[in-house]
Amino acid sequence: MSKDSNNKREKKNVNSATSTGITAPYKTDLFTRTVSLSPTFLLLLLILPVLGGLLSVLLPAFSWVPALEQTTFGLQGFNDLWQTPGLIQMVALSIATGLISTLFAFVMALMVLAAFFNSVWLTRIERLLSPILVIPHAAAAIAVGFLIAPSGMFSRLISPWLSGWELAPGGMFPHDPYGISIILGLTLKELPFLLLIALGALAQPELGKKLRQQYKVALNLGYYPITAFFKAVLPVLYPFLRLPILAVLAYASASVEMPLILGPNTPPTLAVTIMQWFNDVDLNLRIKASAGALLQLALTGSLIALWLGSERAIKTCFNSTLINGKRHYADALWQKITAALTTVLIGFILLALIGLVMWSVAGFWRFPAVLPEQLVLLHFQSAFTQMGTPLFNTITIGIVSTVFAIVLTLLCLEAEQLSKKPLSKFTSFIIYLPLLVPSIAFLFGLVWLQQLVNNQTAFFNVAFTHLLFVLPYVFLSLASSYRRLDPRFAHVAASLGATPVKVFLQVKLPQLFAPLLIAIALGLAISFGQYLPTLLAGGGRIATITTEAVTLANGASRRTSAVYAIIQMILPLIGFILAWVLPKYFFKSGTR
Amino acid sequence: MYVIKSLPALPTLKNLSRYSAYAMALSVCAVISSSISASTASPTTGDLNQTLSSWQQIEAQGKNQDVYFYAWGGDPQINAYLQWAAEEVDDKYNINLVHVKLSDTSEAVSRVLAEKSANNNDKGSIDLIWINGANFATMSENSLLLKQWANKLPNFALTDPENNPAVNFDFGVPTNGMEAPWGQASLTFYYDSLSTNKPPTTLNELVNWTAQNPGRFSYPKPPDFLGMSFLKYALVMLHEKQDAKTGENIKAQLNLPATEQNTDIILAPLWTFLDDLHPTLWRKGDQFVQTGAHMRRLVDDTELSLAFSFSAPEIPAAVQRYDLPKSIRSYAMSDGSLSNTHFVAIPYNASHPQAAQLVANFLLSPEAQARKQTPAVWGDKTVLVQSTLDPEQQALFKTNKPHPSALPVDAIKRTVNEPHPSWVDAIMQGWQTRYGVSP
Repeated sequence: MSKDSNNKREKKNVNSATSTGITAPYKTDLFTRTVSLSPTFLLLLLILPVLGGLLSVLLPAFSWVPALEQTTFGLQGFNDLWQTPGLIQMVALSIATGLISTLFAFVMALMVLAAFFNSVWLTRIERLLSPILVIPHAAAAIAVGFLIAPSGMFSRLISPWLSGWELAPGGMFPHDPYGISIILGLTLKELPFLLLIALGALAQPELGKKLRQQYKVALNLGYYPITAFFKAVLPVLYPFLRLPILAVLAYASASVEMPLILGPNTPPTLAVTIMQWFNDVDLNLRIKASAGALLQLALTGSLIALWLGSERAIKTCFNSTLINGKRHYADALWQKITAALTTVLIGFILLALIGLVMWSVAGFWRFPAVLPEQLVLLHFQSAFTQMGTPLFNTITIGIVSTVFAIVLTLLCLEAEQLSKKPLSKFTSFIIYLPLLVPSIAFLFGLVWLQQLVNNQTAFFNVAFTHLLFVLPYVFLSLASSYRRLDPRFAHVAASLGATPVKVFLQVKLPQLFAPLLIAIALGLAISFGQYLPTLLAGGGRIATITTEAVTLANGASRRTSAVYAIIQMILPLIGFILAWVLPKYFFKSGTR
Repeated sequence: MYVIKSLPALPTLKNLSRYSAYAMALSVCAVISSSISASTASPTTGDLNQTLSSWQQIEAQGKNQDVYFYAWGGDPQINAYLQWAAEEVDDKYNINLVHVKLSDTSEAVSRVLAEKSANNNDKGSIDLIWINGANFATMSENSLLLKQWANKLPNFALTDPENNPAVNFDFGVPTNGMEAPWGQASLTFYYDSLSTNKPPTTLNELVNWTAQNPGRFSYPKPPDFLGMSFLKYALVMLHEKQDAKTGENIKAQLNLPATEQNTDIILAPLWTFLDDLHPTLWRKGDQFVQTGAHMRRLVDDTELSLAFSFSAPEIPAAVQRYDLPKSIRSYAMSDGSLSNTHFVAIPYNASHPQAAQLVANFLLSPEAQARKQTPAVWGDKTVLVQSTLDPEQQALFKTNKPHPSALPVDAIKRTVNEPHPSWVDAIMQGWQTRYGVSP
């Protein structure tokens, strides 16, 4: 209680300090000028590549490609596109997998939140699911594939004593024509992300407190827990989830890794097909691919519109239900269903991870044995001998893009504090831009632009492209901590004559040590997981652990792909462990 | 014709027409090339002294230079072998052999093309290129390769070029001395002996086998090169069978470019065959495996019991890495194994053509070929013909006890040549419209 009231007092002080306009006057110098320019730079950095990329896809889509000596506008690309056999199936598959997986992940996240709101289990479930957050999509897809294949873990557990299968049965998964495997993989991967975002919103002191109080009042008024969550918490919480959900929807409808590893190939999803066209040696296919990229853009755009539309519809339909006074809707049953589903989900994830580890050390392992015949380290040894360059590339690209993203983010946030103006709504939206525009739609255009500007250093191109995806996450992760910094330290330092740069480096940054490390770890994790940007911007010349893992997953050896998936998981994990351990030893006072 | 000697009587009769076509093509090309220059006569028949002296000239000019060898770099075993070759030519000729690792050979083709359009006619970046099939056809059509050098390499005689069409034709296109043979690959099959004990040994038996073992066989989805190889094997076999019945020689058209007139009629038997085969395949032919490696993994999973590869040594190697069960056995189809030769070529604008010839000649030497054929090194079949070697050289090729999963020595009874490269596109497009989208 006393802590709460302390917080409140602090808050008041902050408010009064800013509202009365007591500001530390500062001299403009190189640092402050850099700082004040940084938000504009950030905007340009995010807008130019995305819009430029889109434009460079738009022109070829209408057959304007000077490089191929096509300089008249036409609809040839679209004509070719419509004539692609199976186009309808591709589009349907993309829509179905994107929409259903997002819906599942969203509904599951809500059910977990509702059923375990205010329970210790909420943080425990989040902790159990959080390893998935750092697993790149490709690794997750590989692990899921191990589980659901006809020769996978499930099938082995019931064979031959129950099923009578001596050989792996014919089956549907993965690569089923309905995209169920893709939906499963995407749902599993996105659910922890949405949960984390929701918990992050609830962790904001004022909002969290308000919602918890409303929830308590609702309980006191006799509402059952789940109903209380949906009526008293969700309407306030949802706006904080909207943009992340749309980002998930955009990603799911246009992703490449999951459908490539788990999806069908007769035909694949639209995004996978477009990628194959763009990568074809026949350069003329690029016109068709660009037209396809526009179709993908329209597809993702309509899915987002559909989501926003249904959001409105649901709001109108259920507005009255909020105040109809009904205390419960079969709450006990829903509670049980959610508990059961969550257990199944966590069991599924654990089994997938166990399978992954076992494959990475398996000797001969014939179906239907549940355990390998012998355990060997051969796969790790041989992978390590070939992993040198990809590992080096992964780490250096991750570090370069993350360091740049961190510096830029810090400067922007500092600009916000120096100018005392929060970033505009527009800016906040633009930060999400690379996550909302399907990467398959703008990346190819971006790569063309990069070829024009600089076609020599593939490394730089890849690092720059990673930056577009790292920046949003780093910004979102750092922003709340930075904005919550107690400004009095800075004021005191400034009044003692410290220049803004000194205040920034010696007062603010040490206080931010822990969140900074988390943001770095997150940035590295995002960079480590990028497949399409690495493949395209590098023109296939830059191999990273992730590109190797995706390539291996579709063929080669189960055992080697398990090793790569494990390395893919361990790399970000090391980052997060360091981010968690280091603050315990350095700048301890700052992390109080 | 050593190939025919080992054949059973009946197929020999069937194939006489095929070989006479070869003989004709050979003689035509011989006439053409001899009319171009008198020196085209092969070194075994030509003046030995003169050949030697011109070779000594090349040796003198090629020493102490760099050779940029553009070769696919996707296999660590092959890369290690090239590393070894680099050390050897460094010792022998003080040549600095640099392996430029390509992910696709077509990159090198477009590079030479770009250099030609930029008028760079003698300072090209590529000295030597590993090539065959469609890439060779493209380069040869556009006159991007140095001509009439490969047939003058001293070691070329060891391939018995008089009686060995495999080293003079690349996917049916005459090489005209533009490329030196390096190795041979054949389509070989493997099966899980715990799941099936009688694997099919002809295309006919394969159809019966898949009917009895539904879902246990598949092939990589075109345009994957291994999947295309299976389709080409089936196409050639179907036409052989049909020709034997009708007495015509439609199959000969496979050695000529595909045209709009003949495509439909030539490919019709293939589609009929696939229509029958697909319902008995893995996932009822609705879904196909992506690559040969994917197919191999499904054999390990026991989902498939029969599969094939274009690189026989990869099978025992996979068993040694635990990627395939110990019960795997390799064999070759008795009705014929689709085979092709891979070559090294020199671009017309190479900066160091003499040094490149020294390297190509070294790669053809019994020493280098024997090492390449060693399963632990690479396992790529030699292009040298044993009868041309002396006993000491022959001893280099003797291997220790083969792995139980390896292809038995002499398992390949009969080789079938690749159709003309243009058929790849025709098959691919036809396949895509018929089977690219599952109903």
